Amino acid sequence: MSGSMNDRMLRIDCGGQSSSVWNVPQEVRDYVGGIGYGTKIVVDEVNPSVDPLSPENKIVLTVGPLTGTDAPMHPQACIVTKSPLSGTILNCYAGGFLGAEIKFCGIDGIILEGACDRWMYLIIEDDKVTFHGAGAIIGRSTEDAEKYLKEKHGRDLVTLSIGKAGENGVAMASVFSETRTFGRGGAGAALGSKNIKAIGFRGTKGVDVADRAAFRSLVQENMEGIKKSCAEEYNLVGMFSRFGTGAGMGLVQSRGGLATRNHSYGTFEDADKIDGFAYEKNFYTHGVACYGCPVHCGRVHKFTGRGGRELWARGPEYETMFSLGSDLMNGDPDVLAEANRLTELYGMDSLTTGVTMAWAIEMAEQGLLLTDPGLDLKFGDPNSILDLLVKIGECEGIGELLAKGPKRAAEEVGPQYVGSAMQVKNSGFAAWMPRRMKGVALAFATSNRGACHKRAPIGAEIIGQIDMDSYEGKAPLVKQIQDTVNAIFTLVSCRFHEFITPHDFYPRYIEAATGQRLSLEEFYLLGERIWNLEKLFNLQAGFSRKDDYLPERCYEPIMGEASEGAVLHREKYDVMLDEYYRVRGWNSEGVPSQETLDRLGIA
Amino acid sequence: MGVGFKIVPENCTECKRCVAACALAKGGYIQPLISRIGIDKRWPEAPVIRVCRFDDCDDKPCIAVCPVEAIHLQNGYVFIDEDTCISCGACVSACPYGAIFMNDKTTVAINCDFCGGDPACVKECVTAAISLKEDDSCQEA
Repeated sequence: MSGSMNDRMLRIDCGGQSSSVWNVPQEVRDYVGGIGYGTKIVVDEVNPSVDPLSPENKIVLTVGPLTGTDAPMHPQACIVTKSPLSGTILNCYAGGFLGAEIKFCGIDGIILEGACDRWMYLIIEDDKVTFHGAGAIIGRSTEDAEKYLKEKHGRDLVTLSIGKAGENGVAMASVFSETRTFGRGGAGAALGSKNIKAIGFRGTKGVDVADRAAFRSLVQENMEGIKKSCAEEYNLVGMFSRFGTGAGMGLVQSRGGLATRNHSYGTFEDADKIDGFAYEKNFYTHGVACYGCPVHCGRVHKFTGRGGRELWARGPEYETMFSLGSDLMNGDPDVLAEANRLTELYGMDSLTTGVTMAWAIEMAEQGLLLTDPGLDLKFGDPNSILDLLVKIGECEGIGELLAKGPKRAAEEVGPQYVGSAMQVKNSGFAAWMPRRMKGVALAFATSNRGACHKRAPIGAEIIGQIDMDSYEGKAPLVKQIQDTVNAIFTLVSCRFHEFITPHDFYPRYIEAATGQRLSLEEFYLLGERIWNLEKLFNLQAGFSRKDDYLPERCYEPIMGEASEGAVLHREKYDVMLDEYYRVRGWNSEGVPSQETLDRLGIA
Repeated sequence: MGVGFKIVPENCTECKRCVAACALAKGGYIQPLISRIGIDKRWPEAPVIRVCRFDDCDDKPCIAVCPVEAIHLQNGYVFIDEDTCISCGACVSACPYGAIFMNDKTTVAINCDFCGGDPACVKECVTAAISLKEDDSCQEA
């Protein structure tokens, strides 16, 4: 055992209903944890050309060196698998209490292999895995499934589950854990393809660190910095702490970058009715945190659902305020909260689901998409939004088409309609407008998992620290952010941690927690190595330069005064992409050179 | 020095830094099973914070119910003598605050001993859901 890492994972053979302890070899341990472990294992063990929904795909659920410790803002767990949505390698993350409980089991994660021959759920207690028939919870929501596991096996269980969307193979189905979401890329469909409805964890092992004194001092220093940031009036994370992640909506709106009406406009007149301040002011709000997090950006709200029912939900979060709010012209906070809740119950990524719905509603309004009888799709119409969500989750009627994701759905209707489906590699845009923010454009397009906002220069562009309309310097900046974020995701840090913590903390944390020594440069290099491993996987899966582009709509100006002139120039984008490949050490087709692979130590 | 906990459940964000801090203070490592404070979520409502309320608890039924007299007051705090405890669980059921814990790991009843007057949990709570009652004895004097 290396300090806070257990150096053991569980390999779970779903088909054989058996499991074994896998001592994590040094060549994997070199990748620190989280995305590093997941990527290394998937790249080594999964053929890039496999069908993501076949038993040959594997799902790696991992944690990192700080998981389960009291290092602030490190609650998350990481899933790496081949994405059913994009067909790329996928990494996605959920906060809450799952990561810590995995650590308390005395393991650093699990590897799910094969597929069960019928619906099962798993109970993992320390390193013991038991399989149970899931007949009683099939067709039930994530909430019901997790409640069932807790009632049957103990309330102290920490659970994850899929909803009906995951059962039905909806491409954007997510894995949920007590309302926290492994959102992007369809991990829920991958878990569903293994016929696993839910997993409960309960651990009795302690989490310790290699150097207690050094670790204690780092935690205290980090906590002081975070508390100071949270107390600052205009610090973004401080605003999240007080008003949830929806606090930033007004800023995005003021910059003409709030994606509205299927990314046609950059402002939404009802934005102030659905932002973080509106929920805080007008709704019952209980602030909640993930494990060990002093920021507590989560918000539990009570609201009124369709038919006047009193409901509650955790959220919506900022990204959902775009995808099920402004992008659908939905300015009703109750409808938005209910839509958010439906994505949780069905177990779907609110981002790609919302983006796909925005495309469908636009197509239907223009008479280009035949919908189901009784379903009259209109922007801003509550019934359109809520009914369509249910159809996608149920995979019925028009929902069966949309459940394939925005690009594949559009391709089926007609190739000329793909340009208005706001996606990269079939993964829906996150809440940022690439036409407005050129760094975001490059980050979305070149993302290994597709349209990823976690590795984009969002903060710097939106607050005007750098010129968001300029193409200059964006290529090296995006590379640097992608590499850095991949590095911090080996620790499975919350993305917000890096906003308010100097980078030198990370190697210091790793050494104090595990004894593993890395310089900051080596830490960044690790992130770059992981990025290149992902890229190689994607190339072998059939992706190429043509997939590193944005949909046609991005080459048309955003409508509305606030966003005037915001457009992506085709030639300038191409030059930026060329530059990006160059700074990455890739050829003009986006293939890493031998020299680059040698530099990164990739055999 | 405080004279008891001031608990404001509405302030609690359920981050469980207090739980981790307690485990660290008592065991040197983190594992909720050895913690003497518990947070029970009750979404959408505020949680229940389970910790010994020695100063608010007039009857202290744990003391009376213990068949082997393992529980007594020590410097004002409720102290469970782990060597005497026979793990019967009577105190766990009797505690009105749900603040005595017993599990497979510890095998004996454990509770908060207020860290001798300077509780580790309070230092970690950033929202003052758990803080120290102000000691007003000086003012009175």
